[in-house]
Amino acid sequence: MSIWEKLTGLPREIVMTLVMISIIIPALNPLGLPLMTGQMSQDWYDAVDALPEGSVILFDIGYGSGGYPSLGPGNIAAFHQMFDKDLKIVIMATALEGTLMYPLVMAGVDPEGNYGAVYGEDYVFIGYVAGTQTAMAGVLGDLHDLVTNDYQGNPISSMPILDDVNGADDIDLVAYVTTSGDIAEGWVYQAYSQYSMDVVGGTLSMMTTSIKPYYDSGQLLGIMDGIKGAADLEFLTGHAGDAIVSSDILTFSQTLVLIFIAVGNISWFMSKKEVKS
Amino acid sequence: MDYKRDIPLAITFLVGVIAIGDYYTGIEAVTQTFNVIKNWGIVLQGFALGLGAVNLFRVHGRRVSARKEGTDWVFSAVLLIMLAVHIVIGLMTGQYEQGETYNWLYNSIYLPISSTMYSSLAFYMAYGAYKVLRARNFDAALLFITAVLVIIGNTPMFPAIYPGFFHMREWIFGPIVSGAYRGVRIGIGIGAVVLGIKTLIGMETGYLGRR
Amino acid sequence: MVTMDPQIWLAAFFTIAATSYAFRDNVVFKFAEYTFIGVAAAHQIVMGVKNIRDYGWTKIMEGQIIYVVVFVLGIMLYARFHREYYWLYRFPIAFLVGNGVGISIRAAIHSDFIVQISETAKTPLITGDALGTINALITFVGAVTAIVHFIFTQEKLHEGAIGYIPKIGRWLMLLAFGASFGNTVMSRFGMYQGRVVFLLRDWLQII
Repeated sequence: MSIWEKLTGLPREIVMTLVMISIIIPALNPLGLPLMTGQMSQDWYDAVDALPEGSVILFDIGYGSGGYPSLGPGNIAAFHQMFDKDLKIVIMATALEGTLMYPLVMAGVDPEGNYGAVYGEDYVFIGYVAGTQTAMAGVLGDLHDLVTNDYQGNPISSMPILDDVNGADDIDLVAYVTTSGDIAEGWVYQAYSQYSMDVVGGTLSMMTTSIKPYYDSGQLLGIMDGIKGAADLEFLTGHAGDAIVSSDILTFSQTLVLIFIAVGNISWFMSKKEVKS
Repeated sequence: MDYKRDIPLAITFLVGVIAIGDYYTGIEAVTQTFNVIKNWGIVLQGFALGLGAVNLFRVHGRRVSARKEGTDWVFSAVLLIMLAVHIVIGLMTGQYEQGETYNWLYNSIYLPISSTMYSSLAFYMAYGAYKVLRARNFDAALLFITAVLVIIGNTPMFPAIYPGFFHMREWIFGPIVSGAYRGVRIGIGIGAVVLGIKTLIGMETGYLGRR
Repeated sequence: MVTMDPQIWLAAFFTIAATSYAFRDNVVFKFAEYTFIGVAAAHQIVMGVKNIRDYGWTKIMEGQIIYVVVFVLGIMLYARFHREYYWLYRFPIAFLVGNGVGISIRAAIHSDFIVQISETAKTPLITGDALGTINALITFVGAVTAIVHFIFTQEKLHEGAIGYIPKIGRWLMLLAFGASFGNTVMSRFGMYQGRVVFLLRDWLQII
């Protein structure tokens, strides 16, 4: 067996172990490399920044435990920016696990401690609404007709934040963070197409290419592009968190992938040459 | 007339037309009817969420009661026990997923397994990149080139050495991804609309199940 | 100093169990897998019941008796599992499908079709600088040729010299899919690093 054939035939266990090591080492010894922010995340940040104090944002937690490592930090950074600007946030969940992500995110934001925010006055969480686009259409159509209580069963009639929020006309920006293509498209369909609302969206990096046409056509004002976008938002808002920490880990692991690609291709080409000759 | 199929098809058509009519017409009666349909739809979706669990009960319940060799019936029993325990804990307290015990179990069991399973594909991506990502021909080379350039642009070390890598990545996501995916998005839109119309007029009946 | 919190120990066990499949299929992974399926299904039921209570039962309690019809339709969904009366589930399913299709296609025509085409048409191809012009041309050519690539009913469109139009579309799409692959690599590693950080920081407490 030639060296090139040996290089293309590394056992799976060795490859997986090397991947594991490439993630553990930078976690133990962070490099602190500088970050370059992407335009899509910058546009998200600018869209929220342009809102005057007191504006109402409808925020959809459309992800679950699978997306939390990537999107959770970005969600936290987004909330930091919104609370910092004294914006009113009506939070909902179109994902089944969204209600379980909410306490994790809020533990990272601590709106009462950091910003003196009051639940019911500055933000409210109406909980999970089944039906994806039906839920979106319902909330944007007539919120008070659909929703009676918040996620803990407290009547929304006792929440001052929702006194003047009946539907799309009373919401200044729709923001969502999701791992689902249906939810990502759904908000563009229901908020932008139906009501011409401003929308910003956060998705996993692998979904960014499919929703980019909405960003290019102005249907989305900004995109939080997975963990990269989350790191950008943490940097822009000045609240460094897990996403910026992950940058170093990504350096090692993605460099390893590049090495694998290079080794795989070079040895493949060389063994082809050997066979030909 | 086969009322078992024709009436559901008529319901699909009627509900769909009202939904479309709400968007394209300003008729108050249509909008109000659609509001009712929306709210009913949300409740029905809640009922639909249980279908998967009921099916699991049936399939794995049969496996456990049969206890055949080589059918992993022990794991099916684990599944059913976990299912039952979580349902009881979730519903018994009246606090549903907000209950302390339910949250504890979620953070101990569901969250770690779900997020790890979702993300452990990273290993397979690395292995696949090593074994399969080859510039075998022109088409594969095109995919290969941008994949490598984007990975380089996404890796913070390379833009830190030379910022041009990041700008190259941004440029790829500019005209190339925008143009191609715009075409894809238009194609998706056409496909979705055609499938939707076919469903509404009764040409697509897969959702009705067996005859 | 390793944590003594049983919740974190349990989470660490399941994280390692789920990771172990990458190396080899094993009993521990199977246990985690089946546990996950059971818990996921249970969560669906819990959220489903809550949803029915919040958006259905409260309406009945408010006096909107018509919602009883919705409850009957919801129960009819479960007729799916009956050998003889399975056809009853078609009625609520028809409602859900009609609702879903109507809601999505009405806006898809606008968002995926009209807006995309109008943006392609109205973007000027010649801009103030060379790079802008090249970018605009690539975007335009990419959009048009990608659409042409999907016209399979006209075979002549894919033959001869004119066949280069869909070919160019395919090439540009392959370039875009490569970019998507690159982002997918980052996405998956970005997700997994969260679990590794949990193991090292919260469980082993070495970072």
